Amino acid sequence: MAKEMIAMLLAGGQGSRLYALTQNLAKPAVPFGGKYRIIDFPLSNCVNSGIDTVGILTQYQPLVLNEYIGNGQPWDLDRLHGGVHVLPPYQQASGSDWYKGTANAIYQNISFIQRYDPKYVIILSGDQICKQDYSEFLKFHKEKNAEFSVAVMEVPWEEAPRFGLMVADEDDRITEFQEKPKNPKSNLASMGIYIFNWDILKKYLEEDEADPASENDFGGNIIPNLLRDNRRMYAYHFSGYWKDVGTISSLWEANMEVLDPEHSGINLFDDDWKVYSRNSGMTGHKVGKGGKIENSMITDGCRINGTVKHSILFAGVKVEEGAEVEDAVVMGGSIIHSGAVVKHCIVAENVEIGQNAVVGAMPADGEKGVATVGSGVSIGDGAKIGPNAMVKTNVKGGEEQW
Amino acid sequence: MVKSNADALGILFPNSYDSLIPELVTERSMASIPFGGRYRMVDFVLSSMVNCGIDNISLIVRRNYHSLMDHLGAGREWDLTRKNGGLNIVPPFAEKSVKVYNGRVEALASILEFLRSQKETYVVMADTNIAANFDFNALIDAHIKSGADVTVVYTEEEIPQSAKEAHGVGQDLYYTLKTDDGGRVTDMYLNSVEDGIQKFVMNYYVVNRELLIQQISEAYIRGYVYYERDIIAPHLDKMNVHAFKYDGYVARIGNLKSYFDENMKLLDDANLDALFDPSPIYTKIRDDNPTRYVGDAKAENVLVADGCVIEGEIENSILFRGVHVGKGAKVKNCVLMQDTEIGEGADIEYVITDKRVSIGAGKELKGADTHPMYIAKRQKV
Repeated sequence: MAKEMIAMLLAGGQGSRLYALTQNLAKPAVPFGGKYRIIDFPLSNCVNSGIDTVGILTQYQPLVLNEYIGNGQPWDLDRLHGGVHVLPPYQQASGSDWYKGTANAIYQNISFIQRYDPKYVIILSGDQICKQDYSEFLKFHKEKNAEFSVAVMEVPWEEAPRFGLMVADEDDRITEFQEKPKNPKSNLASMGIYIFNWDILKKYLEEDEADPASENDFGGNIIPNLLRDNRRMYAYHFSGYWKDVGTISSLWEANMEVLDPEHSGINLFDDDWKVYSRNSGMTGHKVGKGGKIENSMITDGCRINGTVKHSILFAGVKVEEGAEVEDAVVMGGSIIHSGAVVKHCIVAENVEIGQNAVVGAMPADGEKGVATVGSGVSIGDGAKIGPNAMVKTNVKGGEEQW
Repeated sequence: MVKSNADALGILFPNSYDSLIPELVTERSMASIPFGGRYRMVDFVLSSMVNCGIDNISLIVRRNYHSLMDHLGAGREWDLTRKNGGLNIVPPFAEKSVKVYNGRVEALASILEFLRSQKETYVVMADTNIAANFDFNALIDAHIKSGADVTVVYTEEEIPQSAKEAHGVGQDLYYTLKTDDGGRVTDMYLNSVEDGIQKFVMNYYVVNRELLIQQISEAYIRGYVYYERDIIAPHLDKMNVHAFKYDGYVARIGNLKSYFDENMKLLDDANLDALFDPSPIYTKIRDDNPTRYVGDAKAENVLVADGCVIEGEIENSILFRGVHVGKGAKVKNCVLMQDTEIGEGADIEYVITDKRVSIGAGKELKGADTHPMYIAKRQKV
């Protein structure tokens, strides 16, 4: 039974700029928004758009991601025909290889795609926070009778040089592609989300693989080759919320934006476009007699006996009496002991912050550092973690780290 | 074969004690009464069984079971979508001979064929009016060790006032025990009104499956209705019935007041931990987003599930999933079930709102601690 469109989700990224957060897990598995992981967004988009077959290409630290995806049931992707499939690199009769680039990752899974005999393939990126209806994108692709379409965002001209840019005519047909140019001719940034006609994608993947000089990258090789051959390529304008959470500060910022859906445009509270995730299964959160919560998001299993302001707490976080949490992202299972002060920072999963310890600080003197504490780390009583610190190992009581 | 599962199958009676709490069961059964912020009563006994490796569980339903079926679905959240065993909901009229049952005997008679075809040595039976994190393995082990025909679980407590008051109505029988030093039950009393600490039956039983089939076949022919009254109590001299004391945390729903009190008790961390820490309690997943505290929200001593938006003040209350408390609203000593809407500036105290109740802006509603005010499902105030 042929599928109209299947999705291939690139989830192999190491996310090296997230440092302490991606020591043991791939970037798409990084927790986000109180009870989600980044990959929940593209997966939920797929389901909400009617795509029921998704291949997830993994490579770097895949254990957490594999376990999290499981059989895909939380996203309604446990299907008889199709559903979600985790696709790590594997050994073939002709030899084996790691995924050498984004295009090579798809190339190595041509036989997977072929099984579903799709008309279209959508290539997604596993490291963006974005709610997007891919069926609208496909509609555009069909209307333009395109062979390749790319979702683009208008970005401010001064920021344009940081992106891969699509230069398009009035009909949105792409005439040129500029990768991080000094002198941009366009402010339409590629979101790294593509729809291909399957026959075209297959042809260009095979051609690209045969070229020993190629880096096997969509942006670097496939798109330029399509342009060279004057293929029908179109740019699809997307204007909703989109954020690449590739750095600590952008991850922190995106979390804070979730707290203000009225202004930021990222609304996780929309019943018509739910974001699905694997559930913690914990009981409701409890605010004790001394607890105080302002403008925050709290989820199941939390116990709040201290003060929480403008923060996001994931499942099972404990904030003891007299502790203060502000402008912070505190991931699942972390404990903040009494009197500790946790501000303007990201605290990863299962961290323990000792009594009266200080982690991070509110921005002052133009300093905007987001202190980061890696998962499983224990911060001793009275220890001090500066606003720019990146903590990967335990910090003893009373010590300071900047 | 590796034996990781208990050698017992489970049978639940979701409608037992429905009549104690008529307000909450007009559209549901005892088993599907919401409890503790995000659960239904059935979740506790069902999860306890699953956590003990009992993965063949039947629910014999009698009436108003739509909400229960909706809640349980195929049983996936409790890991009960199994090829062998799993979740089995038995409605009335499922077979030609099956009617709406009265006591346990008639209920069990309707599944005799099923019981005969199962492989497990033991049957664990339970009602759903109690929320407990119960270790069924300890019960089964004690049953095997004592060599009893039937083992009855009890708690040591005073007979709740709600039970004494309700007594006399057919479905609401309760039992107390006397035992000898070896733990064998010597007497079983029906609807006792004795004061002081009693051995109060929890309505959890283990019995050997073959024996149960025999007991039910015989009792059904004689027209017996109640398992305890008609089968166990009169035959304590011939039958080896043992008592098993449970001293863990028990939340027993006896009437609307005790429903309110048992919810409120969970605001004490010690109680919350006692009920939820021993092993996980599973429930239907709704995919709510985390709860949001906005603007001038204030919260003190509350248990809140996901999916709520709090813009007002909440105190000493239990909020189920998807509750919205508007700006300036005050909620004190309340139990607000799923998707309750509290309008801006409303002021409510000692109120239980059922699912999807909506309280208009500025409305003031006060119950009393002895008589919480109940507002039925989907009502608009």
